[in-house]
Amino acid sequence: MDSDHEAYVLLLLSDSNLPTGSFVASAGLESYVTHGFFTDLSASSPSRPDKMDYTVNFLRDSLSTYAHSALPFVLDTHRTIEEYLQDQTEHTASDLDPVLSRVRELDELYETMTLNHITRRASKSQGVALLTLFSKGFSKPRLSRHLSVSSDSGLLDLETRATTLVDRLKLLVRREETHGHLPICWGVLTATLRLSPERSQYLHMFLQSRSLLSSSVRLNTIGPYGAQQLLLHTVRPLVDAEMSRCKDLTTGLLASSQNAEQDGLDDDAIRGPTMTWPLGEILTARHDLQHSRIFNS
Amino acid sequence: MTLSKIEQGHGRVVLRNDGSGNVFSELAATYPLKLLSPRLPSPDVSIVYMLSYGGGLVGGDRVRLDVEVHERARLVILTQGSTKVFKTRPGQRLSSNSQAHPITAQRLNVQVAAGSALFLLPDPVTCFRDAKYHQAQSFHLSKDSSVVLLDWVTSGRKSLGEEWVFSRYHSLNEVYVDGRRIAKDAMLLEEASRNAGPLNPRSLSESLAPYSCYANVIIYGSLIRETTQSLSEAYGAITVFKQHAPPPLLWSFSAICNGEGCIVRVAAKETEDVKNWLAKALRDLENVLGVDVYRRAFS
Repeated sequence: MDSDHEAYVLLLLSDSNLPTGSFVASAGLESYVTHGFFTDLSASSPSRPDKMDYTVNFLRDSLSTYAHSALPFVLDTHRTIEEYLQDQTEHTASDLDPVLSRVRELDELYETMTLNHITRRASKSQGVALLTLFSKGFSKPRLSRHLSVSSDSGLLDLETRATTLVDRLKLLVRREETHGHLPICWGVLTATLRLSPERSQYLHMFLQSRSLLSSSVRLNTIGPYGAQQLLLHTVRPLVDAEMSRCKDLTTGLLASSQNAEQDGLDDDAIRGPTMTWPLGEILTARHDLQHSRIFNS
Repeated sequence: MTLSKIEQGHGRVVLRNDGSGNVFSELAATYPLKLLSPRLPSPDVSIVYMLSYGGGLVGGDRVRLDVEVHERARLVILTQGSTKVFKTRPGQRLSSNSQAHPITAQRLNVQVAAGSALFLLPDPVTCFRDAKYHQAQSFHLSKDSSVVLLDWVTSGRKSLGEEWVFSRYHSLNEVYVDGRRIAKDAMLLEEASRNAGPLNPRSLSESLAPYSCYANVIIYGSLIRETTQSLSEAYGAITVFKQHAPPPLLWSFSAICNGEGCIVRVAAKETEDVKNWLAKALRDLENVLGVDVYRRAFS
């Protein structure tokens, strides 16, 4: 994909006004604050940490576990869709069945690995929002006065195929035949917009970080300027580090990555998705127990 | 099956119930794994202790246990004391040509037939400084089986000042019901490679503070529905007001499989507190296993 197109899509997707549903999610931050974790827990720190330090503590632990759990699903979904769209042989609507069943398998695995009802709920609502965003916001507009209709060759063109695929997936989610989890839907969206897998993963981590910082601002733990400072100076090295650790992890469901499905017990490398922060799991799952709360997760 | 047919570090347990009580049709293991089954008052409940020689595992040890529970038998798998994972056997140095951090690995595969039940209630795993431990457990149930699967880890030898200073703990639990995977719980706690460019490294112990024990319990099945229900109710009754410091113990409950099962996670500053909490939360097991067996698991 040419870099001009990629840069343009990146501009669109990084718009903080995109209706992605992330503004109601704090990914456990609200519960972390309520449960008293914005306090000095280290026995011997030279200086007293401030709220910005605590925010970065959360950001680091939360991003690490999210990268390890979700990036393999972004990658494998993206690969699945990309492969389908790149396949140049003739296409009919029923060709979608294999690719959709692959996406459903990935979605189901993410569900069985996300063993926390709050994270599941937040992930599904954000996933569906992305699919809606694609079909309402990114599909080609019908501008009969400005765009000429492409000649009908009998084969489905790339954009039609992408739109049909997303519509079918949306229907499956609405019928509750699949879950529509965020990393899966992100992979679908970015592959249909022809972003490279690595860009897609990077942007996903960046947006996750920015969303955490926005919730931090709403919780009044940092100010809007502080959030910008962190985005420029802290988020970048964190996202870079998580990318270098996690961008090649796979789910093990695709033929090209089946070694990850073996448990890797005798092997030094960890290849599959995994949670890395059990404390975050507990705090996130306790979200609804808070007496007052402003977020959904 | 004779011992000579089993590979090193492997064990096999096959438990049946002939109608008048449980019978082990197989119960065998080879070094460094050791299995013991004490005689119990109840004929339909059996215990197998999973032991290791010298009370621990060392770098490079590979242990594998295959278990089958048939015909409405109830099996409890326990350990005696925590599973200690050493980087090397005490007093023994690594030879120069071996890997710097050899992995210690433990694998458990269990088949639980319809109507049967498995209670995996070991003591926690304790990884010592620089130890690297992998554990993979898979459980194949039928719709009518019941399980309680406890998997827990401590921060190390606190008496020696060890607080989350092992090299890696990787645990994988997969539960299948009639061939369909209902839960895949993967957790990685790793000290290495936590750096992020110009930022100071964030240690495992900072991420997990102030707790030094984390437990995960997977519960499934009709035999223990009351436990699931009472935990669900107790959880729903909690209201959290703003706190000024983390509480000494935290727990969470998430239903899986439309409420047929659940995942319970517990963290506490002291391992003993987690144990006491679990003993209370799983008290209904007294009715399922008998008081004697329940006490062996939680004494």
